[in-house]
Amino acid sequence: MHLCCQGRHFQGSQAPGNSRWLNCVAKQETPPRPVSSVVFVGAMKLNKRSVAHYALSDSPADYTGFLRTWGGPGAPPTPSGTGRRCWFVLKGNLLFSFESREGRAPLSLVVLEGCTVELAEAPMPEEFAFAIHFDVPGVRPHLLAADGQVAQEAWVKALSRASFGYMRLVVRELESQLQDARRSLAMHRCTSQKAGASRQKQQAPDSRSPGLENSHFLPRDCTPLGTVEGGGCRLVGQDLPEWELQGPTSLLLGRGQSPVSPETSCFSTLHEWYGQEILKLRQGWQQRAQGKQSGCRRQDKP
Amino acid sequence: MRYNEKELRALSQQPAEMAAELSMRGPKKGSVAKRRLVKLVVNFLFYFRTDEAEPLGALLLERCRVAQEEPGGFSISFIEDPERKYYFECCTQEQCQEWMEALRRASYEYMRRSLIFYRNEIRKMTGKDPLEQFGISEETRFQLSSLPRDRRASCVGTQLDELD
Repeated sequence: MHLCCQGRHFQGSQAPGNSRWLNCVAKQETPPRPVSSVVFVGAMKLNKRSVAHYALSDSPADYTGFLRTWGGPGAPPTPSGTGRRCWFVLKGNLLFSFESREGRAPLSLVVLEGCTVELAEAPMPEEFAFAIHFDVPGVRPHLLAADGQVAQEAWVKALSRASFGYMRLVVRELESQLQDARRSLAMHRCTSQKAGASRQKQQAPDSRSPGLENSHFLPRDCTPLGTVEGGGCRLVGQDLPEWELQGPTSLLLGRGQSPVSPETSCFSTLHEWYGQEILKLRQGWQQRAQGKQSGCRRQDKP
Repeated sequence: MRYNEKELRALSQQPAEMAAELSMRGPKKGSVAKRRLVKLVVNFLFYFRTDEAEPLGALLLERCRVAQEEPGGFSISFIEDPERKYYFECCTQEQCQEWMEALRRASYEYMRRSLIFYRNEIRKMTGKDPLEQFGISEETRFQLSSLPRDRRASCVGTQLDELD
């Protein structure tokens, strides 16, 4: 039986032993949730009207496409079936879904901060699933499936880089590169021109430029007002805000609590790490999928 | 519109860019000013009752307008309804100024503009695209075309401040 079936519907006659395969991915029974674990908290307010307006605004999206989703009101805790096909729009660190491309109101929003995105297995033998994982108690991964491998990988990449923290990292990197470029340009002019000291000042970086202010995004020092609660050691995605709070100096010293090793203190290494992780995950997933396939075949024999 | 509330609550517990007890008043007519712990985390402004760990609410800060309101106070409103304002009062004008600047920069869209601006400046100065070495120069989110039309011209100008 070939796992790479493109269609949503399983052609039983074409796949010997497929019923055994379906048993392999049978729904797991979830134990009933003990009442004591339920905490009754009032619903958190959110400026939904403005959020929806942003979703529909003319600001171009970072990625869009049809995906199958298993979330939604009344959805069972464990995903099953083929899921629901929706139009998804990624804007910044926000993933919206719509009933259709022309939808005038978003169905749902997933805030993509502190998450990791991994390839996944869907309830049906679909090849192109992935999941958004949050390191939050009681939160299940958000399972989604694309129409093909190219779309699947593109979505995983786009969502992995969607966080505010990632964008901030890139901006900081460019900020410091621009500072370096300006400095070396100023130095070059200094050595090549003996006169024109007053002109030098005009060439110097514009102190009003936001990029060169120390407190561009975060205070360099963690003042008592600046940090209210620590986050502890979490997955990479969530570690970035904490990590960055300490400023570039500590980045170089590698004082972050990221599971990534201290050597990944510079952006280029971290970036490579992301790329490698996606490759590794894909390989691991493919191996597991093949292993499972042969495992299922074994069950055919008495 | 459903949203992942649990994850957003967890985000509210992350270290903040700015956090302070401020006086806050909602946009509804007749709303009363109350003391709230206000916390800025990425592009969300969370607000808590001063003695509670769970947030009362959050404001997504995309496409918002931050304006001075009398000395020591500021307001946040959104582009689709500029008269509907959330009011905040600070202890000092300095604190107020600090908050306004932080909030104006606290959107993903602002960071995107900054990035495009820096990328362009570096390209002009060095002749090289700084994103190429990281293999992300083709990503949609870093392109000029990813900005709304009204923002594009300014981004390749000389002053980023012109955008606000």
